[in-house]
Amino acid sequence: MPARSYLTGLAFLSPALFVLIGFFFLPVVLTAVFAFTNMSTSTGISGGSYVITGNLLGSLKAQGVAPTVVDALSQASFVVDEQSIAKAQAAGTDAQFLAEIEQQLSGKAFSEERAFERELKSLRYRPRSIRDLKLAVDQFELSVLNTRFASAAEAREAVSELVPSAPADVVDEIVDASYTGWRWTTSNFTRLVSSSDTWRLVGNTIFYVAVTLSFTVFVGLFLAVTTFYLPAGAASAFSMLWLLPRITPVVLYTVMWKWFTWEGGFVYTAAQALGLPAFNYMKGSVPTAWTIVIMVNGFIGAAFAMILFSGALKAIPVQQLWASEADGASRWQQIRFIILPHLRWPILFVVSYQTLSLLSSYQEIWLTTNGGPGRTTTVWALESFNTALNSYTGNLQYGLGAAMALILVIVGVALSILYLRLFRFDELLSRPKIEF
Amino acid sequence: MTVSSLIKSAALAATLLASTAVLASAKDVTISVWAGGTGPTNDYRVEAIKMAAEILEREAKIRGEDLNITVEGQTWTTWDDFKQAVTLAAESNTAPNIIVSGHEDIGTWSQSGLLRPIEDYVDFDAWPLNQLYPNLIDVSSFDGRIWGIPQDAEARPFFFSRSHLKAIGYSDADIDALPAKVESGEYTLYSLLDDAKKMQDAKVVEPGKGFMPRPSNGTDYWQFYLSFGGEFTDAESGKLILDKQALTEMYQFFVDAVEKGVVPATYLGMTWDSWHDAVAHDKAGIWHGGTWHKAEWEAKWGLNDFFGQIQYSLIPAGNEKGRANTITHPLVYLLSTAGTDEDATLAAELITIASEPRINTLHAVKSGHLAVGSAQADIPLYANDRWTTAATEQLLPHATALPNDPDFGVIWKAMYRGLESAWTKTSSVADAVNSVESEINASLGNKVVIR
Amino acid sequence: MTRNFANWPIVLVLLIISTPIIIMYAFLVIDTVTTSPPGSAIPNGFTLSHWRFLIDPTATGDVWRPTLTTILFTASIVVIVLGISSTAGYALSRLNMPFRRYFLAVVLVMHAFPLVTLIIGVFLVLQFVGLYNTLTGVVLVKAGLMLPFGIWIMKGFYDTVPWEIEMAGVQDGASRFTVWRKLILPQVKPGLFALALFAAIDAWGEYMLPRILAPSADFEVLSIYLNTVSDPDSTTYNFNLFKSVGLFYTLPILALYAIFRDRLMNIFGGGTKG
Repeated sequence: MPARSYLTGLAFLSPALFVLIGFFFLPVVLTAVFAFTNMSTSTGISGGSYVITGNLLGSLKAQGVAPTVVDALSQASFVVDEQSIAKAQAAGTDAQFLAEIEQQLSGKAFSEERAFERELKSLRYRPRSIRDLKLAVDQFELSVLNTRFASAAEAREAVSELVPSAPADVVDEIVDASYTGWRWTTSNFTRLVSSSDTWRLVGNTIFYVAVTLSFTVFVGLFLAVTTFYLPAGAASAFSMLWLLPRITPVVLYTVMWKWFTWEGGFVYTAAQALGLPAFNYMKGSVPTAWTIVIMVNGFIGAAFAMILFSGALKAIPVQQLWASEADGASRWQQIRFIILPHLRWPILFVVSYQTLSLLSSYQEIWLTTNGGPGRTTTVWALESFNTALNSYTGNLQYGLGAAMALILVIVGVALSILYLRLFRFDELLSRPKIEF
Repeated sequence: MTVSSLIKSAALAATLLASTAVLASAKDVTISVWAGGTGPTNDYRVEAIKMAAEILEREAKIRGEDLNITVEGQTWTTWDDFKQAVTLAAESNTAPNIIVSGHEDIGTWSQSGLLRPIEDYVDFDAWPLNQLYPNLIDVSSFDGRIWGIPQDAEARPFFFSRSHLKAIGYSDADIDALPAKVESGEYTLYSLLDDAKKMQDAKVVEPGKGFMPRPSNGTDYWQFYLSFGGEFTDAESGKLILDKQALTEMYQFFVDAVEKGVVPATYLGMTWDSWHDAVAHDKAGIWHGGTWHKAEWEAKWGLNDFFGQIQYSLIPAGNEKGRANTITHPLVYLLSTAGTDEDATLAAELITIASEPRINTLHAVKSGHLAVGSAQADIPLYANDRWTTAATEQLLPHATALPNDPDFGVIWKAMYRGLESAWTKTSSVADAVNSVESEINASLGNKVVIR
Repeated sequence: MTRNFANWPIVLVLLIISTPIIIMYAFLVIDTVTTSPPGSAIPNGFTLSHWRFLIDPTATGDVWRPTLTTILFTASIVVIVLGISSTAGYALSRLNMPFRRYFLAVVLVMHAFPLVTLIIGVFLVLQFVGLYNTLTGVVLVKAGLMLPFGIWIMKGFYDTVPWEIEMAGVQDGASRFTVWRKLILPQVKPGLFALALFAAIDAWGEYMLPRILAPSADFEVLSIYLNTVSDPDSTTYNFNLFKSVGLFYTLPILALYAIFRDRLMNIFGGGTKG
């Protein structure tokens, strides 16, 4: 009965499926969708409405869209007649006030809201609250200007009602242009390809990943091999020490680096005492900024590599090492011919795993150099985050940021598939032995 | 009785109950206020709303109503986090009732439907809004509507260290005449570089501290664009403008400053702390900042004798095409679409009361900002403050503001990015300007006039 | 095995490359109880005043509420991660089902792919289910982020349990669920414990997600609290105070680490079982 055993399996898996679909799969899909939109703060995420504004009409007119229609739409007017009074009555405007308006202003029209408001303010039965007065004013308005219509149909209807002579295609054009929400586009990608900035970012990212990775592997290797030779006590002291960066919360860890390298910090004070150039090393020069970025990330990675390598080293048969020593092998020869070959797979694993996590990591850079000085230490992931969610000028470009994230996702997935082949994924799977 | 009529009468009963309940018991309203870029010296941005709430409660009590207003304030010291929070909160319908932000957000936020036009809720013909400066109301308007009420204004002056100027041969009279020379265009940005260099050569300031501009992105950098004759909007079409010539000259100015050695190539991104430390402790030659910085230097950096230690002026012109200028970047109280119309009406009333000259002056003087209304000149606290009066009289008349266009953010981002790459010499000035141009072309197309 | 080699050159080199860590962490502790003159790193006096934030909320704001929130935050994440990883890991290790192969491959790929790059998508999902700006939302996202790792680790531990135990259980007529709960779970206790430790340390240090997904919520975790203290614009800014708060924040992790170092080592090298 495979069906039943399938069900058991799915039942066990369902909570994981639920969370993973919700917080991994869905966000990936959404990111892919957003990548093809011009979504930003001004368009909003959840959709827009249709608003005909003065600026919009101005630019439509400049583009040569039926000037008569555009002009007719740009006139705001406030008319006191039977129709508008009836409308105000239906909307619940105070009856006494309305009677007074009818009596004093009937037949009058105003082109400016302010002027009409002032008239109303002079009336005896005007509402006490200014908001109620404004609400009453709205009832007399004959204009679509600045009204937010929820749907295109409503907007179209209102425009045609106001300017009955307008041809349907002109109305459509105006309504379409008045949409404030996002639209589909592929321009995010063409922009990325055409911008020289992109290639600089790619260069930065490759540099960052390559150098940090080398640092991680070499330091990790060095630590693993040296602690392997040390007496147990010393070895465990060093491995404990090197694990600290990995377990320290990132906020504290990055500020400790600031304390270490900023003006007035430890290195600064020491350099001053020694007469060496003292400045804010994290932000004051490009080489020092990169060095710090690489160390901040490299120290975290090195601990990870060290543990993996140490684990693999423990698996080396001790007799083999003794034998080589008896044969008079130097320490270097021992490392070169016995230890390193043994570490081939762990090294490959660290390289592949760290490439992926470095590609998408930006937290440490964000909290230390923040991509500076200038934008010299900005990497792809950080830029994607800044574009989509973190902007001083406040215009968050979700669409462009999503396009950047999507490219990162594609690169990551491609690399992962490559790695899965490399590490012979199929061997990880053993068939279940109980099937019923 | 059918089911539907049963529901109807139940609803009727509920409505009746509810309305009597409102009459009988106290009315509790919670108004949330979020403010960005707000540190300890700026706490009156939220405090003023709290004071207004108290006044409104008292007024209600006199009318015989029981009104309880809880003001929930939240502040961010930075802008990026704040704008991110506001934007995301708006998307999830949890935006605060009142937002205190820079006026340049009006364009973007009004388009995305995050704001209620405040003109629909308040009376600009009545006290205290009728005494607000008309140019600040213009700054709070976009596309023909008034969206916000100015909360503060400021000027962003240049500062000179008096002692260091003296060290390179200025007399007291020369120093006092400096602002006028700046204003007339006789003293330019390049004269400033020369002076900064002289100070460094005279060893009164350390190398790289002769000229200390703002260490991070900000409105301030647009002032240099204006100094070289740049403009923001085309008067005729109302479109945004990018003046490539002015941009080139502005970038070139900072590159020249780096070449002269008066500012390091890796200057941008320096910490505010180091900047404050240098300028407040007289370790810098010439720098620019905002009127509000004086308050910070006094509160936190131990500056005692501002007028004795520091001279101030407009931003000098860069060349004959430009002019001496300063940018005012008013923060505005904005009304979000969150909450009911009733809440918004109440929030608008609170903002109106908070704009009373006496209340607004508390903020202005405490934080070193300038008045938003003409009546504040009569408030003793304001009138007796030498700095605010001086800045109002000498700097504010020359102030311009950034445009509220929703697309301006894109231009700004591109401008600063280009500045960074030219400044750090990652690319040449011409390349930087070209990439700004292509960036703007790619994202905004013909919405911007590039010339 | 080091009979014919001297140790001290190695120790010396190790010490040199470890200097940044040694200095940073040594001063993290020293600075919290000392004062030093400006422009110098050498302390010249002993004081406990940097720790006054523990009892005096005016120093940096109440520290105990964020601490409680962080404990709650961490505990919920640990529970979710353990619960889901232990069932899913079992399914992937032992149960027969369609697409098992692909699911395992996908989990591996996800494992290497931090969710933070997809944060806009995550925001939308949270907003859609109404969990934006809530503790629950951040907990779910953070737990989701750890799941691929947790599932993978647990699968590894299940793989080492002998099939005989399970066979025996099934032959006695127990359901697969009972077999799992009564017979198999006790076998992977060390794995569960290690995963719990790992998840706790990871969750305790989380900073980005609360900051972006709950920026204005009325709860505050210690990472955010610490970041506020580290803000140079705040009037209470003081590096030694920051370090004291930082040390206070990190102490639980250091304690866990010191006590359960060996078990943690296993899992930090995790994901390599295959």
